[in-house]
Amino acid sequence: MIADIFTVAWKELREMLVQGDPRGRSRLSLLLLVVIFGVVIPLQNGRDWTDSPISVIIWGWMPFLWVSGIVADSFAGERERHTLESLLATRLSDRAILMGKFLAALLYGCVLTWIILLVSLITVNVTSSGGGLLLFPLPLAAGAVIFSILISGLAASIGVLVSLRAGSVRQAQQLMSIGMLVLFLPFMFLQFIPVELRRSMVNFLSNTDPIQIAILAAVGLIILDGILTVIGMSLFQRSKLILD
Amino acid sequence: MDAIRTENLTRSFDGRKAVDRLTLEVPRGIVFGFLGPNGSGKTTTIRLLLGLLDADEGRAEVLGFDTRAKADEVRKRSGALLEFNGLYERLSAADNLDYYGRIWHMSKAERDSRIKQLLTPLELYDRRTEPIGRWSRGMKQKLAVARTLMHQPELVFLDEPTAGLDPVASAALREDLERLAMQEGVSIFLTTHNLAEAEKLCAQVGVISRGQLLAVGSPEELRSRTSAPRLYITGRFAPQTLEQMKSNPLIQKIEQHNSRLVLDLNDMQRSHEIVTQLVQSGAQIDEVRKEKADLEDVFLNLVDEDKRGEA
Repeated sequence: MIADIFTVAWKELREMLVQGDPRGRSRLSLLLLVVIFGVVIPLQNGRDWTDSPISVIIWGWMPFLWVSGIVADSFAGERERHTLESLLATRLSDRAILMGKFLAALLYGCVLTWIILLVSLITVNVTSSGGGLLLFPLPLAAGAVIFSILISGLAASIGVLVSLRAGSVRQAQQLMSIGMLVLFLPFMFLQFIPVELRRSMVNFLSNTDPIQIAILAAVGLIILDGILTVIGMSLFQRSKLILD
Repeated sequence: MDAIRTENLTRSFDGRKAVDRLTLEVPRGIVFGFLGPNGSGKTTTIRLLLGLLDADEGRAEVLGFDTRAKADEVRKRSGALLEFNGLYERLSAADNLDYYGRIWHMSKAERDSRIKQLLTPLELYDRRTEPIGRWSRGMKQKLAVARTLMHQPELVFLDEPTAGLDPVASAALREDLERLAMQEGVSIFLTTHNLAEAEKLCAQVGVISRGQLLAVGSPEELRSRTSAPRLYITGRFAPQTLEQMKSNPLIQKIEQHNSRLVLDLNDMQRSHEIVTQLVQSGAQIDEVRKEKADLEDVFLNLVDEDKRGEA
């Protein structure tokens, strides 16, 4: 089962990154991401980069965007390119196929985040270190690693679910965009919350240890990822996929 | 043990029976042709046999495994080239095969050697590192056949493997299929509506129409069971000749195509009497050829009869 999951993930990543893009567009867009988030933005922030709030946003939300961009293709792309039925006719179990696609998206989001994290550190150390070694504070570094996994996992599980049901890659991408909007909706509605309530929320957050908040958020994400994965497994039915 | 055994296998979609009480036995080690017009239930049958769809009624066993309860065992031992070739066009030929080798847990050495073994005779080995997106349809189809054989399955399902290919590519693929079938010794379940293909490749054929199995047997058996011996006569014939011949009790059916008469006879031993009658009626005969009807005629007759029965 584990070997099968890695086999499916191997193919997904190979298709995404290694081959078949004669003009190298996918590799170029990856390079662009690394340059923007690993070089340009850290250069603008200079020495503050390692403890800047911007870096928290990048490590927290960017994996979601990166994974959303590719995960829509997982099942909808196979369906659109007529490769799904052949895959379903192999010895692979339903779980191996589903988890393999999930793992590929997760790895893509995490590894890209970690590469950018590393490149950004190199950038600020080369340009603004002033002699000493600049590093992310340990809680921030640990948070970046853990949240890149959880947020990539969230995007991967939503994306796989959407891709399972979507008729085409375009439709899956549109649904993913709507999904992202839904995730951001609570933040948009913050301004409509009564001032008193907002104030008490801010008080609560500022009086609570940030690490505790991070742990709570991580637990919430783990539960959400788990629920979405279980839903994905229950929706994955060979006969239904064939007839779709 | 048969490669495939079905009993009253039935599957409907929206109340229409795509496969209707299909009872079939396919021995191991042969190429079995499943013939039928478009929409006759061939692809649904393959999907049922692979356990990709569940039957509404009846049951099927493939390689001794029940397709409902042990579909994973069936798929483990089979290879399938379905309606679409299912190749990943962004990957190279070698990667496409490598992926399927990995799926069947072949080691790296096994995969490499098998890729060479399969692609060399298909003249694709030297191009194995190219992404296949720009390959011709024929080349892709050859690669797809190689992919189905990658893990040395006991049984291979091929769903219209030459559909959409030009005649040259079709003939080349047919030759490759014939050679691979001999070389690999696998059982092959081949659906097609190309009757020349079935005639050339298949030891046994089944004819399906509107989900029902109309006939099954070797091409030779089907020809003798379902059609009359046939006489092809080329020459020049007087206009009244055709009318005179129609009254001859030896002749079941007569058709004229330009300078050729096609006659279905009741008794091939007495064909000389027909020729004599034609000469006496003033026909100038260039060529006389005795033949049994080909599989295409058998197929068309069976499907026609089925349609008439339905009407």
